[in-house]
Amino acid sequence: MDIFVFMYSIFRKTIINSFYLVSILFGGFLYSQEQEKKSLFDIEVQNKVNQYKAYSNFKKAGMFYIENNWDSTLVYSMHHLNEAKQHVDLANYAHYFRGYSFKVKKLYQEAKKEFHLIAPEFQFDFIVKKRLGEIVIEENEFKQAIAYLEPLTKLSSENYRYLKKSEVFQNLGVCYLHLKEFDKAEQYLIENVDFNKKTKDTLGLVAAYGAIANLYYELYKDDLAIPYFEKAYQLSKHIKKTDSKRIATLNMAVVEENRKDFEKALTYRKEYEKWNDSLNDQNKIYEVAKIEKEFAVKEKQKEVSLLQAENKAKVIERNGLFYSAVVLLLLLGVTMYFYKEKIKTNRIIVAQKENLDELNATKDKLFSIVSHDLRSSVNALKTSNATLLDNLESRNLVALDGLLQNNSAIVNGAYNLLDNLLHWALLQTKQSYFEITSLRLFFIVEQVAYNYKPLMLEKNVQFENTVSKKDVVLADQESLKIVLRNLLDNAIKFSKANGSIKIYTLNTNETYCDLVVEDSGLGMSETARLELLNDTVLLSKKEHENIIGTGLGLQLCKSMIKKNKGKFSIESELGKGTKMIVSLPKTT
Amino acid sequence: MDHVNVLIVEDTPSESSALTAVLKANSYNIVGVATSFKTALEMFYANKIDIVVIDIFLNGNPDGISFAETINASPGASKPFVFLTSSTDRQIFERAKLTQPFSYLMKPFNELEILYALEMAVEKFYTQTDVFLGDEEDTIISKEYLFIKKGKSLKKALIADIIYIEVEEKYCNIITEKEKFVILISLTKMLKLLDGSVFLRTHRNYIVNSEKIMEIVPADNLIVLAGNHKVTLSENYKDILKKLPTLK
Repeated sequence: MDIFVFMYSIFRKTIINSFYLVSILFGGFLYSQEQEKKSLFDIEVQNKVNQYKAYSNFKKAGMFYIENNWDSTLVYSMHHLNEAKQHVDLANYAHYFRGYSFKVKKLYQEAKKEFHLIAPEFQFDFIVKKRLGEIVIEENEFKQAIAYLEPLTKLSSENYRYLKKSEVFQNLGVCYLHLKEFDKAEQYLIENVDFNKKTKDTLGLVAAYGAIANLYYELYKDDLAIPYFEKAYQLSKHIKKTDSKRIATLNMAVVEENRKDFEKALTYRKEYEKWNDSLNDQNKIYEVAKIEKEFAVKEKQKEVSLLQAENKAKVIERNGLFYSAVVLLLLLGVTMYFYKEKIKTNRIIVAQKENLDELNATKDKLFSIVSHDLRSSVNALKTSNATLLDNLESRNLVALDGLLQNNSAIVNGAYNLLDNLLHWALLQTKQSYFEITSLRLFFIVEQVAYNYKPLMLEKNVQFENTVSKKDVVLADQESLKIVLRNLLDNAIKFSKANGSIKIYTLNTNETYCDLVVEDSGLGMSETARLELLNDTVLLSKKEHENIIGTGLGLQLCKSMIKKNKGKFSIESELGKGTKMIVSLPKTT
Repeated sequence: MDHVNVLIVEDTPSESSALTAVLKANSYNIVGVATSFKTALEMFYANKIDIVVIDIFLNGNPDGISFAETINASPGASKPFVFLTSSTDRQIFERAKLTQPFSYLMKPFNELEILYALEMAVEKFYTQTDVFLGDEEDTIISKEYLFIKKGKSLKKALIADIIYIEVEEKYCNIITEKEKFVILISLTKMLKLLDGSVFLRTHRNYIVNSEKIMEIVPADNLIVLAGNHKVTLSENYKDILKKLPTLK
């Protein structure tokens, strides 16, 4: 754990006026041993962490400290200090973590700052002092280092368990050596040698021998120095640490050179070169490994980014597929909808077409019948007029009267037919004015019957209007008149001479008023009756050949009554007469 | 009773002459026959007219409607009218219908229909419907005239000419300076429609035209009227004396 490297170099003018460099390496030798058993301080830290589990940041900082992860240690100790400054003991630990981490990262100013923040009451203040000493040695402030380190020599053996006594002594010796206070240096270094001998720390001993040898060499006490150099060299053979071997060998080489024993010096030099090379090799291997590692990392990184890019591309592709599928589905749905709509409209159109075809056929038939009837009427009028002219020439005035009466009857018939035709057309095109009002049936019947009075008189048909003046219905006046006109016309047409026609109302229903047009005429068969009431058949067959009729009149009646929200029915007995019944809503 | 004055607006001579004949036969007085919008207006304002019969189409244009709109627009001058038309064209009817009150007659029409239409027009115009059609009443009261149905036709009597009215059950005897006739109308309706400041009830059965009062003899409970008609003034109705302007 304690990686403390201190380069000590001395310049010594030799007799042959040449400079030799003797380098001695201290520290580093404790590393392997410390690795094996956890340092006591670490155990102490572990205990603290377990004790204060609630401080998660402190815990993490402590754990990272033990794991030598300095950056993370810095981060979490900082977090801890921001959060829980008030806990002085933990804060001391945290500052120590930070100071030590900075020291390892060679940020000495920061490290010193952190160490100074630790309260003097801190249990491990002596460790802090040692660390500060090491830092100032790195900065060549030897006096200051001595100020830090000297008090540590008087520490109790209990506290020495937490740090290497030899290190303190070694460092103190080296400091004094640098300050040329050789007495003190000698005192500390010899003590250090003894101490290392006691603890059988070979590595420390090599360093200690090296240091004391250098001290004596510096004092030109070659007799004392050389045995130490040799001892260090001999011991270094038994250790694995290349650095120690290298320095011990170099020191021997310099010593032999100064003794002018060049042969030996050369041997040592060569050995030194060997160790140096091996160190260099090691370094090179490290570097190569490092480069290889970096390269591998880079390769991996490349692979990773490639995979990432691939993934991204895949995701994009998948999304694209998904969206296009959705769009296609939507399109399909919309198409299906419109297709269905089209089929629906087509069906409606077909139905309408059939309906229209049927209506058109009916219309054509109607057209032919109406024109045929009109043609017969006009033809009759023509022949009648010819006879009229003949009779006028022969001054047969009696015959004239009869002929004119006949003509007028024909014209009336034709007029009624045309009138119905007009109203039929108007009804079909819905162009006609239609307004349902409250009407007094009696007056409507009177007004309509008025036109037929001469006709009935001529046929000697008795007419009776027994509708009450109080009967009021809701209907459109003009259409009601058309209905009545047709019913009355039919009644007269189918009445025998001396027959009778009665118009009256039946008030059997509360909401409807039944207007009855009753004649004592020919009547009709049940089939004819049903045919007349049938909605779909426009034209009835002619049952009475000599009487003009298209069925248009009744059809018109039915449509008009329907439009007036009324009902129509027929009661008839063949040979006895017919009742045409129009039911209309009463005025409330 | 006087004949009702009718103005005919009709451009077809054959139709107007037929109409004139029918109306004359039913004792209507034909004031004139106008054949255009302009002459119709002139005749309308120059004569005292009671009813107008209007053909919708004059020389191919629906000027009849314009005429009706014009007379309807002059307040006080408007009179009952009937449209004549041979067309049931809806658009024309919709426009004609705006000239309230709206009565029409489809051509061709018979005598009953035209008479009925005239009566309906009068009823609608004075907003006293179901008078001529039912059996209970036969008189419509306007501001100036009583229109009375006599047989198939209409007659009128100037309200200002009435001296007094004597009520006998559902009949009312109307006594004027010249004549005396009976109409069918309820007393309550009579009182409601006559000008209350002029016609005063003096007795359960008498309504008197205050303009025609010559003398009041309270001691005998007697009112002497023009033409030396005498009417009883009952105790219950003596309050009316306060309403009359009397010399002191």
